[in-house]
Amino acid sequence: MEPVIIGLVLGGMYALLAQSFVLTFVTTRTLNFAVGEFVAVGAFATLAVASWGWLPTVGKIAIGVLAAALLGALVYRFLVLPFTTQGEHDVRWLLSTVAVSFVLLNLMNNVEGPSPQRSETAKLDGAVDLLGVGVSKQQLLLAALALVISLGLIAVTQRTSIGLVMRAVSQDPDTTSLMGVSPRVVGMGSYAVAMGLAGLAGILYAANVGASPVMGEPLLVASIAVAIVGGLGSLWGPLVGGALYGVLSQVASYQWGAVWGETAGLLLVIAVLVWKPEGLLGRRAEVKL
Amino acid sequence: MSTVQQESATRSEGPGRRRAGGSGGSGGTGTPDRKQQVRAALRRDLLFSAAALVVAILVILPGRNGEGTSISTMQLVASMSAMVVAAVGLNLLVGYAKLVSLGQGGFYAIGAYGSAYLTLDAGWHPVLAIVGALALCGVVGAVTALATMRMRGPQFSVITLVLAVLIERILNEGNAFGRLAGYPNFAQHDTTVMEPVTFLGITFTPPMIAGEVATVMVPIVVVTAIVVILSRNIVRSPWGASLSAIGESEMLASHLGVAVFRRKVSVFVLASVLGGLGGVIAVQAFGHLQPETFDIFLTITIVLAVVFGGSGTVLGPVVGSVAIVWLEQSDLLEQVTDLQREVSDSWYLSTTGLVGVLFLLTLFLMPRGIVGTLGRSVVPRVRGAVAGRRGTTPTNEGDGGLDDVHTEDVRAPSHPTPDGVILSLRGLGKAFGGLKAVDRMDLDVEHGSIHAIIGPNGAGKSTLANLVTGVYKPSEGTATFLDRDITGQAPHLVSRAGIGRTFQTPQLFHDETVLENVLAGFPDTGRTPLWAAALKPPSRYRRDAEMHAEAERLLELVGLAHAGDLLAGELPYGKQRALEIARALAGDPSLVVLDEPAAGLLATETAGLGDLLLTLKAEGYSLVVVEHHMDLVSKVADQVTCMEQGRLLARGSAAEVLADERVVAAYLGKPFDENEHGAAPAADTTEGDDQ
Repeated sequence: MEPVIIGLVLGGMYALLAQSFVLTFVTTRTLNFAVGEFVAVGAFATLAVASWGWLPTVGKIAIGVLAAALLGALVYRFLVLPFTTQGEHDVRWLLSTVAVSFVLLNLMNNVEGPSPQRSETAKLDGAVDLLGVGVSKQQLLLAALALVISLGLIAVTQRTSIGLVMRAVSQDPDTTSLMGVSPRVVGMGSYAVAMGLAGLAGILYAANVGASPVMGEPLLVASIAVAIVGGLGSLWGPLVGGALYGVLSQVASYQWGAVWGETAGLLLVIAVLVWKPEGLLGRRAEVKL
Repeated sequence: MSTVQQESATRSEGPGRRRAGGSGGSGGTGTPDRKQQVRAALRRDLLFSAAALVVAILVILPGRNGEGTSISTMQLVASMSAMVVAAVGLNLLVGYAKLVSLGQGGFYAIGAYGSAYLTLDAGWHPVLAIVGALALCGVVGAVTALATMRMRGPQFSVITLVLAVLIERILNEGNAFGRLAGYPNFAQHDTTVMEPVTFLGITFTPPMIAGEVATVMVPIVVVTAIVVILSRNIVRSPWGASLSAIGESEMLASHLGVAVFRRKVSVFVLASVLGGLGGVIAVQAFGHLQPETFDIFLTITIVLAVVFGGSGTVLGPVVGSVAIVWLEQSDLLEQVTDLQREVSDSWYLSTTGLVGVLFLLTLFLMPRGIVGTLGRSVVPRVRGAVAGRRGTTPTNEGDGGLDDVHTEDVRAPSHPTPDGVILSLRGLGKAFGGLKAVDRMDLDVEHGSIHAIIGPNGAGKSTLANLVTGVYKPSEGTATFLDRDITGQAPHLVSRAGIGRTFQTPQLFHDETVLENVLAGFPDTGRTPLWAAALKPPSRYRRDAEMHAEAERLLELVGLAHAGDLLAGELPYGKQRALEIARALAGDPSLVVLDEPAAGLLATETAGLGDLLLTLKAEGYSLVVVEHHMDLVSKVADQVTCMEQGRLLARGSAAEVLADERVVAAYLGKPFDENEHGAAPAADTTEGDDQ
């Protein structure tokens, strides 16, 4: 039972980051490979204001989230958007976001140093008993947050016109702009929200493992895997993918060791892709000639 | 430095082109001409190979005496060689098939660790271990390819990246590989350096100890040169053309007879093996492996080498690799770092960050890379000079195109088909969700006839064409072609069976020349085996010259004799259609399906198209023409089928069908009052089509 519970909790954390992949993919058909660094940006921004006693914890978290969000919007505007202009086969944005990841990682390493720094903001001590398994409150908070945020996003996209705009922009940016919606603004908005989420995950995760430039890297692979398993086009996808991936990789690493946990996760991704390339909850588009 | 484009430009200097300048093509590509062409091609290839080998030998000359001062140079050359080989492999994927793999570093690692492990721990002979490691790369590549080949773009890249990261983790955490102690290490092997390989009595010493000649450098640079030479052969062969076709559009590639899935798997395996070979070179030169050097930075550096040098060019990955390795190992980047630190001691970028910046700058300023950018600025000038000398100016103005067809150039299909029904559809249907786009259609096409399919927009005409050529799988019914069941077969099988086609909107390789577009249409694109593409046997030279002459003839046939060197994307719409017909004919079909060939044509071009279709028919081709243009249909069609809402509405001769009141009603959308003017709907629909 223990690996299943831990797996679900871990999966929740991955789902939070996977959600940021889905968000940018749904609207702009791009993924930010630098998301791991945005996790660290959020953590460090909050760390920088941690000593401001007059600022309540919410405010400190908000600063971390906003810093990541702002940077995300800028990265989209200046380093992603210019590299998406040559139709659907254009994947230069992929290379540019990888380059951004290198630059940010290197910069943070030089500024903050490579070793993890303690972060006390939004830190929850202790563990709760979940079906006989002790789960740290911090991790549970992350998982619960992923669930709440996912449900919130789904509600917003289904109940308001924002969802319609997002889908329209992803399907046909040109026509959408004729309707008076700026795909650029929508893209920057979705990058801001997505990277804000990544920053939030970073702040909460840093309270657990400390803030360091490479803290996002281990999360990156897992959350990409989760996003793909669930389906990049569906906001429900990360929840389903996160649960599956988390449980499977935990069970495998309990049985055979840590390396096999990740391998099992990757094999899950390959199995899903062979069976349904669009992900478990994704929809396949018919090609029309 | 020569590039693919540049060489294609010089190629057009060849004798085959001369005819174009002459008066009204006599179709006389004489054998002497062709022999000369073969000889010229052979000379170019030999020259390139010789140059590659000479460069390879020149760079290791400083180490011929094994002086201590030359060791660092030799190590630099070895690093560059390893990167060149891996990048050349990746270029096949990224530059030609447009599959952006971020996993090349993983295969590099498998090649390095695999060959070392098989030698040290498994006790294999080192040469056998190298072969084994490369085979392992091939197998891992094949499995990855099979799993990822249904996806494109970001998903593919993500999976390959995940693979590279996973391999790095296994190497970092697997106890058998010594973890942070590296491989080999004292604890496990009593040494930290691999034994030099001894093969056929020769010991291949790595560049490590002063006074010892680093003999291993000879096989390293020779193998690197051979990889570059063979990769050049591959990308300039029809096999390479099929990769570009896949990169442009998989649907189009499969219509050219390419088994897309299998070819993508082959190219991925090839790229993986070359990635592994890069790793093998690294082991042989340095004798020791550290897991942290096989991180994500390595895999991205290989991508950067390809993009920086120029993806989709022969020399791009070579130039890029050499430049990147030199940059990383020289102290130039450190100097830039020091410069920044004078301004701020914490906010500065060091090597990885600077490489990231370099990557961004390349994407912004030189998206075609060094070689691609140089090629772009040099080629047009060369091309202009060539055209000037020939006395022909390749412009897209004025005459030419379908109003200048040379019907005397038409030749009969090479496989004469028996009289009778060549294509037979029975109860063929296709439903998209609830909508029945085609509903139980029957259709028979007689050998050597033109069968026109007409009907209002949305009647299911194009869907029917797509069902025949394999774009869609029919939901019901059968299709038989030359007594063979082709129901639901993939486009490349239909194409190989002898059905060519053109598309409603011309599907061309816009960035390639008109001539290259036609060349891609030959069956060779789908059928050339990889070994023949790489080794380029004499038969390949002869066939190249033959295809060239044939392509010239087809271009003249459709009135594009003067346009061979233009980029296809620069052609006006009508000529793009003409080019598509020429490409379809290059595939040596018995039956050609033309989807609205007259749409967007000028009146004179439509007339020329009519003549061309009639000549093709007279020579024994069978044609299916989906068309709105009733003048053309009346002129050429032996039989006309009118569809409405996916079903058969009327069938018969053109006059009969056009006079049918149901047909007129279908077009005009209102009850028919008079029944005299059969041609009335024609005028209306033609107008509607010109939008």
